[in-house]
Amino acid sequence: MSLTHQPVRVNTGFEEEGVLVFDERHRLVAVLVRLSDRNEVAPGQWFLEAGFGPLSGASYPAFADLDVAQEWISRRLALRV
Amino acid sequence: MKAGLHSPQTLMIRKLDSIFPLSAEERQALQGLPVQVTLFKADQDIVRIGDRPSQCCVLLEGFTQVYKLTAEGKRQIMALHVPGDIPDLQSLHLKVLDNSVATICPCTLGFIQHEDMRRVCERYPRIAAAFWRETLVDASIFREWLLNIGRREAYTRLAHFLCEFLVRLKVVGLVEDDTFDLPITQVELADAIATSNVHVNRVLQAMRANGLIQTRGTQVIVPDWERLKEEGEFDPLYLHLQQEGDA
Repeated sequence: MSLTHQPVRVNTGFEEEGVLVFDERHRLVAVLVRLSDRNEVAPGQWFLEAGFGPLSGASYPAFADLDVAQEWISRRLALRV
Repeated sequence: MKAGLHSPQTLMIRKLDSIFPLSAEERQALQGLPVQVTLFKADQDIVRIGDRPSQCCVLLEGFTQVYKLTAEGKRQIMALHVPGDIPDLQSLHLKVLDNSVATICPCTLGFIQHEDMRRVCERYPRIAAAFWRETLVDASIFREWLLNIGRREAYTRLAHFLCEFLVRLKVVGLVEDDTFDLPITQVELADAIATSNVHVNRVLQAMRANGLIQTRGTQVIVPDWERLKEEGEFDPLYLHLQQEGDA
């Protein structure tokens, strides 16, 4: 599944840098946020802030970089289609 | 402040007494219960779902969690217990356990055989009533947690959680100068208040920045109890303490 993403600013109160992730039919499936370096749990990692459809209710994973995050999202979406 | 200095039965008596005043004779009867003291490491199961225990455990030192897992392995912590509590008291009447109980940190537990508890309950009906009341209060706490994790914002949720802890620890003498020990990981906190560890960390940082709490290692300091109570929408009514549990 080919995903695309688009930069977005998110107000989490701590972070701003984020991306909207779209599936191949250009539907929004996830919002990823790059965690602040001050975050004590996963500093600087990409966090699945919100997931839609098959990704809603997913546990809250954090990823080392955007590629890993998108790979994980693709796998999750493929499981449910 | 160290719970370990008491006899194994003392904390349980103090806890029961806080929700159901006991006579000197009833205290004496509880004091006479045989208790087998055992040490547990952190993150160890004490009893598991499906077990058929022949004993209950009184928590003497440390903190324990009641938890269940989804098929996928996600954990929900339904309750935390503090020294003096009997986390698996329901096993006295429900043969098969429907939840697991594990340690959060290194714990000291006192095991009391069901048959000894039954004997003391038959002889002293008010002790049976006290145990009954304890399980009812546990159920009341579950209801409050359901409201808390189901309907409150993460910030309020965590503030409420901390308020409850402070009051419960105060009952057993484990709060000094508005400071208490909470050796719990952010992952465990997240599983207890049904959010992610990332959110827990954001909320903790915000609480520290707002001066709602201070943390020093595993210690939590509450500089302004009234404010924490307000932020957490905390009303201790559901704890059913005999003496008003206001810290």
